[in-house]
Amino acid sequence: MTISGVFSGVMPLGWKSTDGKRPPAFLVASAAAVALAALIPVAYLLVRSVSAGSDWIDIIWRANTAAVFGRTFLLIALVTVISVSVAVPIAWLTVKSNIPLRRVLSVASVLPLVMPSFVMATTVIEMYSPKGVLQGWLSAIGVERLPDIYGLGGATLVLVLMTYPYVLLTVRGALRRMDPALEEAARAMGYGPVHTFRAVTLPMLRPAIAGGSLLVALYTLSDFGGVALLRYQTFTSTIMIQYQSSIDRTLAAVLSLVLVVIAVMLLMGEGFTRGRGAYHRSTVGAVRSSRRFDLGRWRWLGAAGVGVPVMIGLIIPVGVLVHWLVRGLLNDQELLPLLIPARNSLYISLLAALATVMAALPVAILAVRFQSRMSKFFERSIYIGFGLPGVVVALSLVFFGINVARPLYQSIWLLIFAYVVLFLPASVGALRSSLLQVSPRVEEAAQSLGRSQWRVIFSVTVPLVMPGALAGGAMVFLLTMKELPATLILSPIGYRTLSASIWSAASEAFFAKTAAAALLLVLVAGVPTAYLTLRGHGDKADASDRSNEIGETVR
Amino acid sequence: MRMPWSRKSTNLKLPPASVADAASAALAIPVPTDGETGVIHLQGVECRYPGSDSPAISDFNLLIRPGEFVSILGRSGAGKTTALRVVAGFEQVSSGYVRVGGQLVGSSFVHIPPDQRRIGLVFQDYALFPHLTVAKNVEFGLKDLPADERSARIAPVLDMVGMSGYESRYVHELSGGQQQRVAIARALAPDPVALLLDEPFSNLDRQLRAALRRDIKEIVRKTGATTLLVTHDREEALATSDRIAVMGQNSIEQIGTPEEVYQNPVSADVAKLIGPCELIPGVFRGGIVMTEAGAFPTRVTADNSISDGQQVLSLMRASELEIEVAGEDEQRTGTVELREFEGEFSEYAIRLDSGTLLRVRRRAANGIKVGNRVKISSRDESKVIVFPV
Repeated sequence: MTISGVFSGVMPLGWKSTDGKRPPAFLVASAAAVALAALIPVAYLLVRSVSAGSDWIDIIWRANTAAVFGRTFLLIALVTVISVSVAVPIAWLTVKSNIPLRRVLSVASVLPLVMPSFVMATTVIEMYSPKGVLQGWLSAIGVERLPDIYGLGGATLVLVLMTYPYVLLTVRGALRRMDPALEEAARAMGYGPVHTFRAVTLPMLRPAIAGGSLLVALYTLSDFGGVALLRYQTFTSTIMIQYQSSIDRTLAAVLSLVLVVIAVMLLMGEGFTRGRGAYHRSTVGAVRSSRRFDLGRWRWLGAAGVGVPVMIGLIIPVGVLVHWLVRGLLNDQELLPLLIPARNSLYISLLAALATVMAALPVAILAVRFQSRMSKFFERSIYIGFGLPGVVVALSLVFFGINVARPLYQSIWLLIFAYVVLFLPASVGALRSSLLQVSPRVEEAAQSLGRSQWRVIFSVTVPLVMPGALAGGAMVFLLTMKELPATLILSPIGYRTLSASIWSAASEAFFAKTAAAALLLVLVAGVPTAYLTLRGHGDKADASDRSNEIGETVR
Repeated sequence: MRMPWSRKSTNLKLPPASVADAASAALAIPVPTDGETGVIHLQGVECRYPGSDSPAISDFNLLIRPGEFVSILGRSGAGKTTALRVVAGFEQVSSGYVRVGGQLVGSSFVHIPPDQRRIGLVFQDYALFPHLTVAKNVEFGLKDLPADERSARIAPVLDMVGMSGYESRYVHELSGGQQQRVAIARALAPDPVALLLDEPFSNLDRQLRAALRRDIKEIVRKTGATTLLVTHDREEALATSDRIAVMGQNSIEQIGTPEEVYQNPVSADVAKLIGPCELIPGVFRGGIVMTEAGAFPTRVTADNSISDGQQVLSLMRASELEIEVAGEDEQRTGTVELREFEGEFSEYAIRLDSGTLLRVRRRAANGIKVGNRVKISSRDESKVIVFPV
């Protein structure tokens, strides 16, 4: 027996969860540390901006903020609407219809996720710019001039191609989980297929669409590489330019706070669309797999439709990169050095994934197993990173590093810290859903067999949430590989990663030089993406999927 | 409890001068002892969940002696699982004393965590570890033993529950009944002070349930394990237990052998929980109760005292009633609404004029048919139990 055992009765009651369980102190302490760390960037930005005094209104006006504001929102709206209209039909076609090559297409349609925006932008410029490949082909048939790719059009194209997979993944998950009996009931009541989709399927998909849209909007808000190469000024690129071009960084800090406000507005907007209906299945038991809708002769057209974004978002860009690489090798052109940046990228991405999952674990366990006002506060505070664009986190950590944590400044640890803050929500989410599948009775069984709570976590909980930890880690790895602004701002001088070296070559329009590095980046990022996509594919081929079985057994 | 593999000492692992007793001594709180502490002893226990106005259990008293098999029988929501979780240490008590193996493990100021109570627990959904094999599940609680002793103990335990040969299976490869057996093996392997079973048969189908019930009773008998079973199934409680504790709302209403409780329920509530019956209102006068089904000789159980002219509830059990075809203008009769022939016995459903349905179970024959008016009496002079309203 422990001393805390004896005196637990007199511990402060605020720590108690709603079902009367008291979380172990080590869990609370580590979750509190994580939550506190996640709050550092915003707190520091606030301090910094307040110390700028009343000048900040002036500062905002000087930066021509209103116009940038308008441009940013226009881009967000366009990208979100187009992404949803691209993703929802693809989701339906790959889950509910009998298009040919369904499985292949369903994996391929998510893969544009691996392209970093700045790589996608370079290939888009190569293909569709006034001097691009497409113009060359079209001149032959008399088309004199394509619409200008630079500006809103190009930025929208690049961002839609990169972000529609977010909506696709969430909507597809919802479609798979949806009880086919609902649609069958509608059909039995005399609704035709189109009417059923509008009256039953679409409303059921609303939370998934809203969730996916939020990811798209936040990504669009935070993207730097793509919009900068396509010369469309948004809030994020304005901040980056301010940061890089001026010595006084107060303006960047103040603008970052405005960016935080926009992100919070988007988050609240998503909460607003949820409404009050219940969307989970009301009955228990396994979901019957539904019959796929027979498209008849149209199914080839459906497959072709799914193929279009795959073509534009994956095959053509990779083709351009391969073309550059081959041409470069044949002509003995200078290419970017690969070995060191690749090693660095791999190293920091793995570290970031590991650190993030480990930081997420106490927060997730506390949030799922010991629900209380405090555990909710911890969880909410880490979700801040979800709405914070990389540039904001990075900037505040620069200030923080220079003024407070000097030894960390210019080390990779501050960079890792930024990644952890940015990507914590992704891994907490994955761990959370994994934990929900593990019955608390299993942990109690372990405790009744003589293991302390601390040891139960390591011998039972952690092994059982491994699938979620792996998925979360894979997501963090992918996001870290692609992340640009934070990497640019926080990398120690001389520390080259793949994304940073590609960016510096691309921003000087030495696109061809980037070919080998960009291809490597896409390939490495493809590994976790493939893992995530195939994992979500547990239709029936994946009968060996341990995570499914574990979930089944425990329920 | 003595297992074939038991070590010499079956005391709790707590240090002799346990901190709990030291704390209670320091705080000058009298440690209640009634001479006998038993293996599990709950005294005046109250347990509250935060945010709820009423306690989940209150003034809960239960003493389980070594080797005894005791069931807590109660409706869902009565607090019986809370009582079990209090013993196991998953819930903290707000007042009263919980003792396990003679040691104070729970009170308003002491709470020994579950991992230090040495209690074997079998959960309703078994809660086997899905990431471990059967053998590893059983081995889980043996972490304090040296490796060779650990592996030597797995085989006899699995053999005892009839699961030899399944050592390397994973949990999802077992049927419900097999999972149940492994759960019991896992709970018994560390040689616990007591075994707690939380609705262990509710996830199984009816036939399997009866067979497994007998097997488990046999296993428990062989090991001599002190056992507490929590259930809402009276058949289960009656068939397995040495004693039954019937729970009303939040506390135990009656405790005794199955026969005692069945034959002498202390309240209408206990009577309803312990066996199928109907409670019909009547007026008590001179040892007789007058009801709409007729007049019956009565007896009064426990401390219930009833005076003449008092309104009572009379306990009508199918096996204690008799029916015969009623005369033309006889009062206080019922109509046979249904007859189910079961071979040796027939069960009749008798609709009284108020609409109440009485069940009567008697030897077949004597030609009573559906639609007959019948007169109801108690069989073999047996007396009808009455409770004050």
